[in-house]
Amino acid sequence: MSPEPRILLVDDEPSIQRAVGPLLRSRGYQVDVAGNGTEALRMAAERPPDLIVLDLGLPDIEGTEVCRRIRAISRVPIVVLSARGAEADKVNALDLGADDYVTKPFGPEELLARIRVALRRVLSDEKAESGQFAAGDLTIDYDRRRVVRGGAEIRLTPKEFELLSLLARQHDRVLTHRAILKAVWGPNAVEQPEHLWTLVAQLRKKVEPDPANPRYLLSEPWVGYRFATGDSDGSKGRG
Amino acid sequence: VPRAEIVALASSAAVILAVTEAFRAWLHVTNPTIAALSYLLIILVVAASSTLRVAIVASVVADLCLNYFFMPPVGTWTIADPQNVVALFAFLVVSLVASQLSATARASAREAIARQEELRRLLDLSRDILVSGESPDAIGALAAVIARRFDLDFAAVCLPRETTWTVSSAGRLPVRLADRELTAAFSEAERRVEFDARTRSYAGHHVLTVEGHAVRVVPLRLGTKPIGLLAAAGREVEVGTMDALAGVAAIAIERGQFLHERKEAELTRRSEELKSALLASLGHDLRTPLTAIRVAASNLESPRLGDTDRREQTDVILTEIERLTRLFQNILEMARIDAGGVGAESRWAHPSEIIAAARNQVDQTLREHGVAVAIEQDVPVRLDPRLTATAVAHLLENAAQYAPAGSVIDVGARVTGEGLAIEVRDRGPGIDAQDLSHLFERFYRGAAAKGRGVGTGLGLSIARGLLAAEGGRVWAENCADGGARFTIVVPAASKQPEAEGSVSA
Repeated sequence: MSPEPRILLVDDEPSIQRAVGPLLRSRGYQVDVAGNGTEALRMAAERPPDLIVLDLGLPDIEGTEVCRRIRAISRVPIVVLSARGAEADKVNALDLGADDYVTKPFGPEELLARIRVALRRVLSDEKAESGQFAAGDLTIDYDRRRVVRGGAEIRLTPKEFELLSLLARQHDRVLTHRAILKAVWGPNAVEQPEHLWTLVAQLRKKVEPDPANPRYLLSEPWVGYRFATGDSDGSKGRG
Repeated sequence: VPRAEIVALASSAAVILAVTEAFRAWLHVTNPTIAALSYLLIILVVAASSTLRVAIVASVVADLCLNYFFMPPVGTWTIADPQNVVALFAFLVVSLVASQLSATARASAREAIARQEELRRLLDLSRDILVSGESPDAIGALAAVIARRFDLDFAAVCLPRETTWTVSSAGRLPVRLADRELTAAFSEAERRVEFDARTRSYAGHHVLTVEGHAVRVVPLRLGTKPIGLLAAAGREVEVGTMDALAGVAAIAIERGQFLHERKEAELTRRSEELKSALLASLGHDLRTPLTAIRVAASNLESPRLGDTDRREQTDVILTEIERLTRLFQNILEMARIDAGGVGAESRWAHPSEIIAAARNQVDQTLREHGVAVAIEQDVPVRLDPRLTATAVAHLLENAAQYAPAGSVIDVGARVTGEGLAIEVRDRGPGIDAQDLSHLFERFYRGAAAKGRGVGTGLGLSIARGLLAAEGGRVWAENCADGGARFTIVVPAASKQPEAEGSVSA
């Protein structure tokens, strides 16, 4: 990655382009702007960005479709901009490979935090190719199926370990309920979120320092869960 | 004794005497059998055409004539042959029985006709009720229909309200019914449900004497439960019919209430739909301006921004605030149209002023478009210039939203016999065929606007609402050489150039 990460901003509203563009530039990012889906796909292919900020309401192609097509050719992090109330679109985009979302109307810090987290995930992915993962005082050894917190080993059931490693392997990304249920319980379980709620509660009791105020396993209300590694994870202001 | 009976009696006696005289003087009939049969024929005719009383008297007269003129010895009341006593007695009995039978048949025929008549009236009444729609004065209309169909001088539907009565009456007699008497009749109807099989009616019929008129009062029953009273005066209506009439009226009242409730429910549903459409639209239209303003405002705070960028951010904020203002105005206008608060105030105005005012209202939106105005005759027209200009402004705004930046919007005005016609024609993509019929519906956005932050889906419906307030109309079409054309026509008087000097405005 170049010292100045390149962000592709995809939004058809001139005002959003004119306000968010300078915002990102002033924080040291290079910014390309696309006004519709076709242009976005072309630009993403011609000059691959380090991150894409994608509005879901585009005039030509559905935002979720843009998401799917980009995912087919690249693993570039995608942060989608979605409307409050349009939960289905948001979940769709996440299922189709988007990494995170910000709900309009959003504040600048919220967007910047999402961008930072998504970029950091890419960096840590590039560093860590080993079978180990560490966040805070938590260490996960994927190969030996061991989890250690503050030097003490935590005993997890196979399902608990499966869920934890699923979230940790894609840390700092939002995984939808659907996607998690499908990965851990299989395609027949996608309509039974209660499995997931129970398992997350059990897991939090074991791995979280304070299960009532989780710092690793964060809920994204009505959407899914994420494994948070860092400080500025922007989980504030969500709800 | 009614006059008609006296006349019938006199004429039947005269006929009997005439026949007797004819037989004796001219025909020389002496056979008592022939005379008896002739008399019997006369009595049958009398019984069939008049009352039983007349027939009985005629029978006695005929019997006496038979004795005096035809039974030997003729010319005396004596009867020589005892057999003839039996014959006379038999004649009397036969004629009396025949009279009785004939009178009964006549009475039942009359009753059948009367019943048929009332049935026909009832049928007509139910048909009237079925075709009547929901109206504020449905009950008053019901009373009027009852009075008309049953030829009553007075008909009233009385419904209890807490302590008083709502009386809807019709007919030429101005009868006032006392609440107290109505309450008494109603409480009796509530207490007693007795069915009288002979009159085919329920108990609870009353006859009140109000200002010298006999007013019949019948409970209105749904099933057996009384819901009000029906009062009638004038033509006599049979008791059973009165009850059936009350039943039909009760059903009509219930139907009216159902219709009313259904309409209310429909109105509520529509207003709910409208509210959620408004919320959805607001959510959409507020999101982008709010985001842009928020981000741009915090950009302005940032020390890392250059001067050019800074000016750009101010511009973003102003543009979006302009957009929010338009949205706010649109919602206010819409609410005013909905509340019926738009009244047209006619005054004299020039088409050029109206178009200038319209452009002025949306000059921000029109920044990136050229506007070419062509006015055929700029003569004063009498209409509401404010409403018309606002409607035109919405058409201009709509054109600016769909036509590419830099293109020209043509505005034409023409004064015709019908009024003022204004056309707004853009060089945009035109109107999709599937959108044409929905274009002026509230919150409707064409296929081209879907997913774009364009428009609120309110402008054109507001334009239509404003024009409707001054009796005008608006329509849209695609031009043969591309682009959409919207035309409004507002009915207006105009001053033709030659007359201009003569009228002072």
